[in-house]
Amino acid sequence: MTGLVPAFVLMIGGLVPGLVLVSRGDAVARLIGLQLLSCVAVLVLLLLAQGFGQSQYLIVPLVLVVLAFAGTLVFTRLLGRRP
Amino acid sequence: MTVLGGVLIWFGVLVVVVSAVAALVLPAVHPRLHALTPVTSLAGPLIGAGVAVLNGFSLTTATVLLIVVLLAITGPALTTAMARLAGEREQEAGRG
Repeated sequence: MTGLVPAFVLMIGGLVPGLVLVSRGDAVARLIGLQLLSCVAVLVLLLLAQGFGQSQYLIVPLVLVVLAFAGTLVFTRLLGRRP
Repeated sequence: MTVLGGVLIWFGVLVVVVSAVAALVLPAVHPRLHALTPVTSLAGPLIGAGVAVLNGFSLTTATVLLIVVLLAITGPALTTAMARLAGEREQEAGRG
C-alpha cells in the first residue's frame, strides 16, 4: 500500500479538473467533465482495491464502468437533436 | 516484477494527470475530447497491466483486465457520441 499512496494522491488530484469541468460551461463541456470524472474514478477505485489488497472491492469499478457508459450515452441522447 | 508493476502504474497515473489538466486548459470541445482519450486508451491499460504484473495469474488479474478492457472499449464510443453531439449543436447554432 505504501508504494501506491503517492500515485493514489495524484489520481485524486486528477479528479479536480473533472469537477471544475462539470461545474461550468455548456452542456457538452459538462458532459466531457462527467466522462473524465467517471474514468478517473474507475481507475482510482482500481488502485484502492489493489492498495488495500481486497480483491472483492473490484466489483465497484466493474459496475461503475458499465453504468458510466450507459449514463453518459443517455445524456448524449437527451441533449441531441429532437426528431 | 514489483518494480515493473510500480513503474507501469506510475506511468498510467501521470498520463491521467496530464490528460485531466489538458482537458481543463484547452478552450474548445473537440480539443478537450482529444485530451480525454488517453485516459481510457492509454492510462487504463497501463494501470491494468501494472496491477496484473503485481498480482500475477489470478482471478483478481482477470477482473482487473476485464475492467480495463471495458474502459478501453466504451471510452472511444462515448467520445464519438459526444463529438457527434457537439457537431449537431454547432450546426444548429450556425443555422440560428
